[in-house]
Amino acid sequence: MTPLQEFTLRMTRRAFFKSTGLAAGRIALATLMLPELLRASGKPQPRAHPALPGLPHFKPRARHLIYLFMNGAPSQIDLWDYKPRLQEMYDADLPDSVRQGQRLTTMTSGQKRFPIAPSIFKFAQHGQSGIWVSELLPYTAQVVDELAVIKTAHTEAINHDPAATYLLTGSQIPGRPSLGAWISYGLGSESDNLPAFVVMTPRWSSKRDAQALYQRLWGSGFLPARYQGVPLRSIGDPVLFLNNPAGVDSTARRAMLDGLARLNQIAFERSGDPEIQTRIAQYEMAFRLQSSIPELTDLGNEPQAVLDLYGPEVTVPGTFAASCLLARRLVERGVRVVQILHREWDTHENLPRDLSLQCRDIDRACRGLILDLKQRGLLEETLVVWGGEFGRTVYCQGELTRTNYGRDHHPRCFTMWMAGGGVRGGIVYGETDDFSYNIVRDPVHIRDLNATILYCMGIDHKRLTYRFQGLDQRLTGTEEARVIQGILS
Amino acid sequence: MTAADWALFLGRFHPLLVHLPIGLVIGLVFLELVAVFRPRRAVVRAASGPLLALLVPTTLAAAVSGWLLATPGGYDEALLRNHRITGLVIAALTGLMAAAHVLRRSGLYRFFLALCFVALLPASHYGGSLTHGRDYITRYAPPWMKHWLGLRQPAPATAQSTAPIDPTAFDVYQHGIQPFFDRYCVSCHGAEKARAGLRLDHAAALWAGGDSGPALVPGQPAASLLLQRMRLPLDHDDHMPPEGKPQPEPADLALLEWWILAGAPTNRTLAELEAPEAIRTRLLRPSAFAPPQSPSQEPSSAHPSPPPLETVLPKVETLSATLAISIAPLTPTEPWLQVNAAVAGTRFTDAHLARLADELGPHIRWLDLSGTGITDAGLLHLAAMPHLERLQLDRTAITDTGLAALRPLTELESLNLYGTGITDAGLSMLAELPRLRRLYLWQTRVGPEAVHALINARTRRPEIAAWEQELAQLQTRLERARLIVETGAPPADPLPSPGVPINTICPVSDKLVNLAVTLWHENQLVAFCCTNCRAQFQQEPARYRARLAQLANPPPGRLGVQPANTQCPVSGQPADPNITLVHAGQLIAFCCSDCREQFRTRPDRYRQAVSQTQ
Repeated sequence: MTPLQEFTLRMTRRAFFKSTGLAAGRIALATLMLPELLRASGKPQPRAHPALPGLPHFKPRARHLIYLFMNGAPSQIDLWDYKPRLQEMYDADLPDSVRQGQRLTTMTSGQKRFPIAPSIFKFAQHGQSGIWVSELLPYTAQVVDELAVIKTAHTEAINHDPAATYLLTGSQIPGRPSLGAWISYGLGSESDNLPAFVVMTPRWSSKRDAQALYQRLWGSGFLPARYQGVPLRSIGDPVLFLNNPAGVDSTARRAMLDGLARLNQIAFERSGDPEIQTRIAQYEMAFRLQSSIPELTDLGNEPQAVLDLYGPEVTVPGTFAASCLLARRLVERGVRVVQILHREWDTHENLPRDLSLQCRDIDRACRGLILDLKQRGLLEETLVVWGGEFGRTVYCQGELTRTNYGRDHHPRCFTMWMAGGGVRGGIVYGETDDFSYNIVRDPVHIRDLNATILYCMGIDHKRLTYRFQGLDQRLTGTEEARVIQGILS
Repeated sequence: MTAADWALFLGRFHPLLVHLPIGLVIGLVFLELVAVFRPRRAVVRAASGPLLALLVPTTLAAAVSGWLLATPGGYDEALLRNHRITGLVIAALTGLMAAAHVLRRSGLYRFFLALCFVALLPASHYGGSLTHGRDYITRYAPPWMKHWLGLRQPAPATAQSTAPIDPTAFDVYQHGIQPFFDRYCVSCHGAEKARAGLRLDHAAALWAGGDSGPALVPGQPAASLLLQRMRLPLDHDDHMPPEGKPQPEPADLALLEWWILAGAPTNRTLAELEAPEAIRTRLLRPSAFAPPQSPSQEPSSAHPSPPPLETVLPKVETLSATLAISIAPLTPTEPWLQVNAAVAGTRFTDAHLARLADELGPHIRWLDLSGTGITDAGLLHLAAMPHLERLQLDRTAITDTGLAALRPLTELESLNLYGTGITDAGLSMLAELPRLRRLYLWQTRVGPEAVHALINARTRRPEIAAWEQELAQLQTRLERARLIVETGAPPADPLPSPGVPINTICPVSDKLVNLAVTLWHENQLVAFCCTNCRAQFQQEPARYRARLAQLANPPPGRLGVQPANTQCPVSGQPADPNITLVHAGQLIAFCCSDCREQFRTRPDRYRQAVSQTQ
């Protein structure tokens, strides 16, 4: 018996109809009764994004997640990890006792020397917690009392593609669902009119060529495709082809969708392909987005004081600041996971110039997001995560001068921060050695980080599984992962 | 024995002595009553005399012993004051009674006797409360009596004992250890009465300890006084709890020992600590340590826990679909729901809220009404949601009048009122919410003075002052526990000042160095004449190590190496080692600078001489 036949047999009619509020039968039934728009009719609608039964596993600390992913790997030594003694070791060779045979990327393996490049940026202590932050992040430093700065995140991957895939999907090998997809699958979402998982990829200020992003970073892997992230485009219409073409009004669109849904249902009964269900759900969601997206992106009723929090770029669509404001609006409207992927932190060369440009993009907006969430009471129920896929080396890539240097990839320690729901503010977790090369105390593997994120959302990472290829797959994979209790309040 | 010891000893006789005047007064009253029915004035008078003669000294003895007993302290101040006053009144009245009897003023005698009897009632009640707790009489009274007396029902035992059984939410101290103390210890070591200065009703008090010192030593159960006392034989004088009080089971003591051994953590869940199976089952028993009285710190909920979630899940589905809002369980084991009505926007009105409260009210723990169409009238329905913990009313049309409807929400911890028409007037009501911890007031018309007043009203509670005092005590103890050891200044930093190399001659080529070409080698900055030499050194550092050591430790005033010759190659005179020149990798000394200049211009002429003087 083929897997598809097995699937069809398992999937009874009742299970199909029960499984989703965006299923064909319900839509068809509703529109048979009342031909007008579903929303306005007030007919009872089952939830568009139901949670799995039995979830949340325990009382959630956060209802939403905003993930600020700094693709390319921001340099922790120049931003968060203050190592003043390195100033004395300018141009010193990295001792073998520190390097301990860490593999190099092909970009620096040909170098004869690995001179230490101390950061040229000044650090200072900020807030009541006295956390050290460099001068590149002056605005973020003002809200450092809300952040839990994790200095000892570590990973095994040394290049961008496997590392980003590892961080966001749990494995260096592609094919697995992303963090947002897992959460969307487990907890569903509260809003019917917006997707459960929204993704934005704003533009960046440093040199033009950036590492590519992949759809798999917000994809659904082996989960049904309806759990994937929905990207909002930076330029032009946030969602393509959302509006009805000329000559087609909403009733006509509705009738078309219903007819299409009936055809799809026939196809599903014949083949049992779950992607058909996804397709039905996506058409239905697109219909609802027609009204919800314009309302979301209309910033008309935002007071100027709020816009000023995020900085002057907030009204320019496609910038990081605009994405942060949209993220807050999405969370307000019940979206479960919002992910913003900001690119080109990969400062192999010209780090002082490029890192300053990148920080200028994000710094004020991060503070604005935190403060805006806080004053609306949303910070206590939203988890905000910031970080890249690995760190950068203490030694210089390329020529080292007193005013310019570059850094290569470094997986053994890097810095991330978390804020909001369930996380203690104003703490530093973990300690690295004097070279910001090895971890001395309290390591946090990215698996542990993912387990902690799931825990804050109310999910036990060991119990949220999906059977695929004979295994109960889970985000944190088969290896041990533990929740980091030290950063939780 | 010192006077203080005698005082302590004799004070203990107060509970014994005090019953004598009580019995005697009652006896005298009884005699008077007998005299009413069977008038034998003389006999009564004759009988009263000796009783009165016994009454006065025993009253005095009771008063004195009472005073001695109260001196060490540890009693509730208000109760003690009342007991003292009424006791002294009784003592004075007995004197007056005796005087009236001697003076044969029977009317006055009976008047004082009646007063004395009346004064006995409150005095003995206060005395009993001092010893056994304020609610000693009423603890097991029938409900109608409690209601008549206006007492709040303590939460029924089942509600108290539904500690969550999920290990990641089971706080070991709060759900496992503190209930143990509440059951067996807090009646004598709690907020109302702190025997030997020891309180066991909250974590800070545990660390503070009492007159005998800290109650426990984290990590060392054998050294913890608390556990030692409980492990003593029952008939031992120091055994705790005292004989006659409910005794903990050995399994409970094992639990306590495990907890102390783990470092006595007060903020760890069961999932985070390693616990043997026996301990785990003991902790997770459903009826573990159901206390006979509600804990003294938090006001207990007047409302019982709602029925389990399975009974309402079908209603959840239909209601969520009908009202177009999101309703979901908070955890699978507890009967709580989280409701997000904000997604319905202004279409969600008071009528919808009424329906929600009606069908699911007691289950709702989190309610998000942001931006909905509810008004002050709708807030009245929140009375049907007594277990609300988080409430969001931001951007709705509510006003100060609506806030009064929040009064029954005794479990509310977070309240969001941003963007509403709240003013200072409404804020004062919020001070009554006992558990409120987070309040959001952005974009309201509330002024900073009203906010300050609210914070003061909520935080100037006597318990908080007491806790701050205990915190200060704990900090002094920490200070005293520290040990500062001074071992002198650390050895000098082996690194030279940055940027200055340790040598001036290249160890590879023996030429003068170029300061721009440097290398860090074993924590020392080494300079070279050129990059080739540096590369060579890096490849084979061992080969040049000896030379580097020579060059790095120059005698003062020298370049670091002795010149190879003692005779000047130009003049043949004895060479001055301070006048040198480096030539072809060698350091050559000259007798004078003229010879050096000559050599410098025509080095080949004197090469032979140099090689000869080697």
